[in-house]
Parts: sequence; structure tokens; C-alpha cells
Amino acid sequence: MIYLEVKLPDIPGSLIELIKPISQNGGNIHGVLHHHDKKNNNLIPVDIWFELSEELIEVSLEKIKKGLIEKNIQLIKISVGSKNKMLTFILTGHVFDTDITNTIKRLDSKNIKVLELHAKFTEVDEISSVIMKVEFPEVMTKFELINEIEKICKEKNLFFMRS
Amino acid sequence: MCKGMEVKICLIGMGNVGTCFLQLLKEKQDNIRVNFNFNCKLVAIFEYDGALIDNDGIDLDNLLDDITNLRKNQYWISNVKAQDLISTLDIDICIETTPTNPNTGEPALTHIKEALNNKIDVISSNKAPFYLHYKKIQDLAEKMNCLVKFEATVASCVPAISIKKSLIGNTISRIRAILNGTNNYILSRMTTEGISFSVALKEAQELGYAETDPTLDISGYDAAGKLVILSNELLGWSKSIEDVKIKGITKITPHALELAKIDDYVIKHLAIAEENNLIVEPRLVKRDSLLNIQGTLNLIELQTKYAGSIILIGKGAGGFEAASAILNDLISIVKKRRGF
Ligand SMILES: NC(=O)c1ccc[n+]([C@@H]2O[C@H](COP(=O)([O-])OP(=O)(O)OC[C@H]3O[C@@H](n4cnc5c(N)ncnc54)[C@H](OP(=O)(O)O)[C@@H]3O)[C@@H](O)[C@H]2O)c1
Repeated sequence: MIYLEVKLPDIPGSLIELIKPISQNGGNIHGVLHHHDKKNNNLIPVDIWFELSEELIEVSLEKIKKGLIEKNIQLIKISVGSKNKMLTFILTGHVFDTDITNTIKRLDSKNIKVLELHAKFTEVDEISSVIMKVEFPEVMTKFELINEIEKICKEKNLFFMRS
Repeated sequence: MCKGMEVKICLIGMGNVGTCFLQLLKEKQDNIRVNFNFNCKLVAIFEYDGALIDNDGIDLDNLLDDITNLRKNQYWISNVKAQDLISTLDIDICIETTPTNPNTGEPALTHIKEALNNKIDVISSNKAPFYLHYKKIQDLAEKMNCLVKFEATVASCVPAISIKKSLIGNTISRIRAILNGTNNYILSRMTTEGISFSVALKEAQELGYAETDPTLDISGYDAAGKLVILSNELLGWSKSIEDVKIKGITKITPHALELAKIDDYVIKHLAIAEENNLIVEPRLVKRDSLLNIQGTLNLIELQTKYAGSIILIGKGAGGFEAASAILNDLISIVKKRRGF
């Protein structure tokens, strides 16, 4: 997974301009996050993460960087995550009642990034499930990651199943 | 022990497995005589309410013609217990196939200890004594210079335990297994049909794949017991069931299974022995993984240091399946006693 942190002008069409060089160079976009709360000088920090096939990484990344510079997009940071540092898991229980945003933020505070999330809703009050794909830092072991998730699950009485 | 042409045995518990064993023994008697050069003489059968003891050998044909002949036989003694009489018998091998109390391992544990204390080799299809008191039993067997075999306790006739001797030149580093056919059946049905856990369980009960009280299976306790035995035997550990982190399958919902499909996963109830940890829990497994077996099958994947992964798959339950594992154990004990 590749992470890109950029600053985009708060005008229509600027996200498209950001996405173009990525998709044109084989990037498979997984997520985009706008930090509207951190807007400054009409620039919004935006995180975008995408996958590139292993063989293309070096060449494509250079082309993407070049494309962004040509479009005058302010590049803050670019980082390549290891494929081994990912985990997919399902949480079942009162996933929404127990504040899913808080769950994600708590993972984020430990540098565990939620890359993907899909949910199945049921009736209010009934149990639901979500599937999440997360990436965890190089320095964190899988055991530590699972501990972090299990801590939250225990507190929120969620059933945890992982890959 | 087992030195001559004749090997004298007793059977404790003539239920499904015990009866299948006797039928198999009858069927294979000639084959055993020709190929392994011994005769099996059944000297005693113990049931919960008495025993049939005949030092000249119980007539298998007559007994198996009609099982009610057991208690009609002239040598039937009512109200005696195996543990009180084992020491009085002249036998080489004791075969233990009584039902298990999952928390105490009784009455099998007492039967096994009594046999070993009397220098009798033991074969058991009972899990509980081994997942509760593995080390104690092995120590006693060693002290008494006895052999204890229990292939049928894990995945019945699938050679999950005896594969060890085929891998002595290798190193097993991890075990991942599906050790409970009931749970695998329930999850397979929930995945393919989108039905709820309770509907799938009811179906399994109607088909005879699940017990009326399925608690031991669905809670993961049964698989945990088998995992303890496997890891102790194959990885040389000395664990008991309290060492297993156990999660059952009751909280798996059709929604969770549907979500898993988005990323090409299925949910399997796995038993894992890895890095000194024992875990039984539902895991996300890629749909094209070899672990994704269907129905009531069992699977044991051994990760080896020098040959990658080796997988055994087969029926994990059934009277004749367990009986043939017992017969395997019997032949291998006799061979070992004769120095092969
Ligand atoms: N069935 C399988 O597929 C399978 C596979 C592998 C391992 N196993 C294990 O093998 C064992 C036997 O299974 P099974 O299916 O044969 O069970 P089962 O049909 O219930 O047979 C057990 C037999 O033992 C008798 N018994 C009970 N208490 C006894 C006592 N104190 N002394 C002597 N006999 C006693 C029972 O008599 P009553 O019925 O009259 O009480 C019954 O005849 C269990 O531990 C099981 O977990 C079974």
C-alpha cells in the first residue's frame, strides 16, 4: 500500500487532478480522507492510499510524483507500506452503537490505519458486522496488533475474527 | 508382553466404537495372522453393568450374531467394574472405548491407570484423559514400561498422530487443523446457504452430525482437546486443555460470512498450534485455500521445516473409522513389542 499526503486547494475538480496521475500509472485507489478541520490558506490536507503492483512500484511512483509536481500539487509525504503488515478482520456485535468512529480513531492513535471497511446493517438494536482491512506499523508485531484490537473488542463486547 | 503368537486383549465399553472394533477384528483376523503372525484372543469385555470374561477366548461369531448375547453368555458376571478386575486378568493389551466425561476423563482415566499399573499396554479412543492428564499418563506408562496409543482420539482413522513416525527426518513447526466435523458442517452450510447458525445446527442434529447437546462441539472444547493431544504428540509439548485459548462458532452470523466473501474469504473454525500457543477460533481463510474443506471432513495441516506444508484430510468420526485406528494401534504395539 502507498500512502500519499498532499495539500489540495479547496476548489471543485482538484481531487480529480490528484487522482489522474495515480490511476493513469496503474494505482488502484483504496481510500481518500479529507482533513477539512485542518484547512489552512484554502488548502486542505488530503490522505490518499492506493496499491501498485509489486513490479511497477519504483517506475510508477516516480511517474506519479512527476505528474503531481506538474499539476502543482503540494506533496507532503509519500510512504510505501509492507504488504505483510496488513490484517483483515470482522467485528460482530453492537458495532455502531459502540461508536465505530471511536473504534477507528483508537486504532489510528496506535498508528493502525483502516484501509477498507464494509458493513452489514441490521435493525437498530440488533447486532451488526463490519469487515476491516488495516495496515499496522513496521515496528508493531502482529501479536501486538491483535492485542490492541482485542482490548477494544473486550471493552465494547465485540466478537473478533481475523485472517 | 505380546511375545508369542497369541495376543490377549480386553475391551472396556462395547458401544458403537467397541462393537465396530470387534467386527473389524473378526473380519481381519486371518489377514492379521498371515501378515503379522499373531492371533488376537479377546479375554474380557467390560460394560457399565458387568463383564464377560472367558480365558479361553470369547467367541466373536456368536457374540456379533446378536449383541444381546453378551449378557446371556454363561460367563457374564453382573455388577463388576473394570477397574476392580483388570489386575486379575492375564492380558497384554487393554482397549478403552467408554464414553468420556470431558471434565474428569473418567471412567477412562481410572481404567487406563489401572491397566498401566498392571503392566498392560493401553489403546484408547477417549480424548479426555489425554487432554487433561497427558503427562501423567505418559510418565506412568514410561515407569511401567508400557505402550499407550490413542490414534482414534484425533480425527479417527486419519493418521494425524502416527504420521509423526513418517516425519522423523523433518521438523514440524506449526499445526493448523479443522478437528470438529460438526462445526465444519455448520459453517459450510451457513456459507453456501446463507442460513443462520441455529438453523444449520438444527439441520446437523437432524442428520445425526451433531449431538442433542452440542455444547462441547460448538463451544470449541472438543477441538481444543484434540489440538492438545496433537501438539503434545507432534510438537513434543506438554500442554493440557487449560492452555488453549478457545472461541466457539455460536457468534458467527450470516452477515459476517457475507462480509467475508467481499474479500474472498470464508470463515473456518481452526485449531492452531504455533509458537508455543494453542488457539481454537473462527478465522478468515481465503476461499481458494486448501483449508477450505466442506461438510463434516477433518483436516490437519502440518507446516514442516524442510518440506513445506503437508495436509491430511478425511472423515473425523464414525464407528468403523475409529475402530480401524484402534486396530492400527494394536498391530503397531505388537510389532513394537516384537522389536520391529
Ligand atoms: N463414535 C465415534 O465416531 C468416535 C470416534 C472417535 C472416538 N470416539 C470416542 O470413543 C469413545 C466411545 O465412543 P462410542 O461412540 O462407542 O460411545 P458409545 O456408543 O456410547 O459406547 C460406549 C460404551 O461404553 C459403555 N460404558 C459406559 N460406562 C462404562 C463403564 N464404566 N465401564 C464399561 N463400559 C462402560 C456404554 O454402555 P451404556 O451405553 O450402556 O452406558 C457403551 O456401551 C468415546 O470416548 C468417544 O468420544 C468415538
